[in-house]
Amino acid sequence: MTAFATRLGAAVAAPFALLARAIDLPLRGWQRLTGMGGMAAVFLAPNLAIFGVFVLIPLALNFAYSMTGGTDILLPDRPFVGADQYARLLDCADYSRAVTCREDAFWTAARNTAVFVVFQVSLMVAVSMITALILNRKIAGRGFFRAVFFFPVLLSPVVVGLIWRWILQRQGLLNLIVVNLGFDPQVWLNDRLYAFAAAVGVSTWAHMGFYTLILLAGLQAIPRDLYEAAEMDGTKPGRVFRRITLPLLGPNLAVVLVLALIRSVQIFDEAYVLTGGGPGTSTLFLTQYIYETGFASLLRNPGLAAAASILMAGVLVVLTLAQLALSRRAERR
Amino acid sequence: MAGIILSGITKSFGPAQVIHGVDLQIAEGELMVFVGPSGCGKSTLLRLIAGLDRPSTGTIALDGRDVTALPASDRGLAMVFQSYALYPHMTVRQNLSFGLQNIRMDKAEIAARVAEAGRLLEIEGLMDRRPTQLSGGQRQRVAIGRAIVREPSAFLLDEPLSNLDAELRGTMRAEISGLHARLGATMIYVTHDQTEAMTLADRIAVMRAGRIEQVATPLELYNHPANLFVAGFIGAPNMNLFAARASGGVLSLPGGAELPLPGTPAGADVTIGIRPQHLRLAQEGEDAIEARVTLIEALGAETVVHAQTAEGQPVITVLPGQPPLTRGEALRLNFDPDEAHLFDENGQRIAR
Repeated sequence: MTAFATRLGAAVAAPFALLARAIDLPLRGWQRLTGMGGMAAVFLAPNLAIFGVFVLIPLALNFAYSMTGGTDILLPDRPFVGADQYARLLDCADYSRAVTCREDAFWTAARNTAVFVVFQVSLMVAVSMITALILNRKIAGRGFFRAVFFFPVLLSPVVVGLIWRWILQRQGLLNLIVVNLGFDPQVWLNDRLYAFAAAVGVSTWAHMGFYTLILLAGLQAIPRDLYEAAEMDGTKPGRVFRRITLPLLGPNLAVVLVLALIRSVQIFDEAYVLTGGGPGTSTLFLTQYIYETGFASLLRNPGLAAAASILMAGVLVVLTLAQLALSRRAERR
Repeated sequence: MAGIILSGITKSFGPAQVIHGVDLQIAEGELMVFVGPSGCGKSTLLRLIAGLDRPSTGTIALDGRDVTALPASDRGLAMVFQSYALYPHMTVRQNLSFGLQNIRMDKAEIAARVAEAGRLLEIEGLMDRRPTQLSGGQRQRVAIGRAIVREPSAFLLDEPLSNLDAELRGTMRAEISGLHARLGATMIYVTHDQTEAMTLADRIAVMRAGRIEQVATPLELYNHPANLFVAGFIGAPNMNLFAARASGGVLSLPGGAELPLPGTPAGADVTIGIRPQHLRLAQEGEDAIEARVTLIEALGAETVVHAQTAEGQPVITVLPGQPPLTRGEALRLNFDPDEAHLFDENGQRIAR
């Protein structure tokens, strides 16, 4: 067994060794020319190239698109319009009423997203917290349940959306149960409230495993001695949670809160597959608006979509800075 | 303040039994030390008394009241943990007040008790600091303070000094001793350090493998160890133990030395124990244990001499002053028969 493993290891390593020998001489030459600083550039270059091609250049292109008009796809064919697209998005008689805005779908999507974020993040933090607390106890089959709760995180959002559409559709699993219990079937995904609740619930279900894991790690990092000291001090369970568990879980909670917030603002795939934004525009979220404006609608408007995505990115930058500030504050404690 | 009585205590974790029938009475105001090697069950026994674990069988009585089934919080005991277990997000003041707030004590009373504990432990100036801003010794004081403010019926201390450096350990040992004298409280102190045990204890319970081997005052343990384990564990350096043959008043050692020892049984294999401090250089013509010096540790006031007999048996002796010995030198050692300890084949002390 060991001999086989050794031979296998050698076989796997052989091509890499060959590669290393091949690049050894040119790298030595380069180092002699440029010194150690030049070597750092060599090793950073591949990553920087990938980052540039897939992040920096698209970011710049997106910004350029947001300054152009028309329906053409290729940038050189598009006329420069300055900040017109932003002006169009922000043109509103009354910001509290989407219908008074020139781009009312954008404002509907923004409002929906804001409401979604409030409910989904609250639900996410609460559910992940409760799950982590339960999974942190000595319960039977703890390892199994930890895997079960994490499993949805591994699923493609499209699969998640399809599974839940199959459950919630008119002739789906949920209605089968409802009818068998003697109630009338409901058109879950055609009801504004139910559909919105489904989007909140499904996206929470799909991602909670990730946040549960972060919180569970935090809970396990709290020394058992502290709980025993609290027990000797005659602390009641609720007070132990409020005065010991919660404060010591603070850094993890801050991370969970802000990551969940950022992800929630970006809600798209599972909700789009589940409801398609409907009924009407009741589950139309910002990312879907951007996607449809830029690619899916008959009169596609890449410039407007780009401007909307830049505005959304601005919000995300603010949230990310908040995350950094929060975690730094938590670290200082 | 309370006396503590343990009766028939056993504790098993799954199939592993770690405490095997412990009976012990701790008097009111006594400072009892549980001492023994790692894994002997001393901390487990303390946790059973604290109520953090439940005994498998047996009862625990505090002040004559059976508390075996009571949760830790209802026993009125306070514990000082090896790790200190201070709440890291609270200030010293909050750490000290927390337990009192739990029982909804009057704010003025809490403030008074915290101030008093601060004065007693000289930590008044640290009240608004967090535990991470304190040194090891200061944290230790806060941990003790947290126990004091609750005015418990007994203090349980689980290796409280093991995370401190040697010098601080000595200082804190003296402080705990002084604290015990001032408070007059019942204390149970767990340690694996026999120096701590000897210096602090009113009585010591020496434990091995979940059993109490002997309970006695420090000097009683030193002078009259009940068995080979206690003899080897208490005292530094360790007691010299030689296999010997007793024949009515004379002891034959493997090297051929015949030493007169009154009170030895006739015709029995025994173990003779002599503390290094009780071995002295033999006079001319005296029958003696012969050995060669292998190592000399000159400490100034005394010299620890490691030697080996012709049979390969190690011998340690502590000689006063700075004797002019060199490595490899032949050594003839003898002892006062009154200071020798005899143990039978089962390792139990033979009374002489």
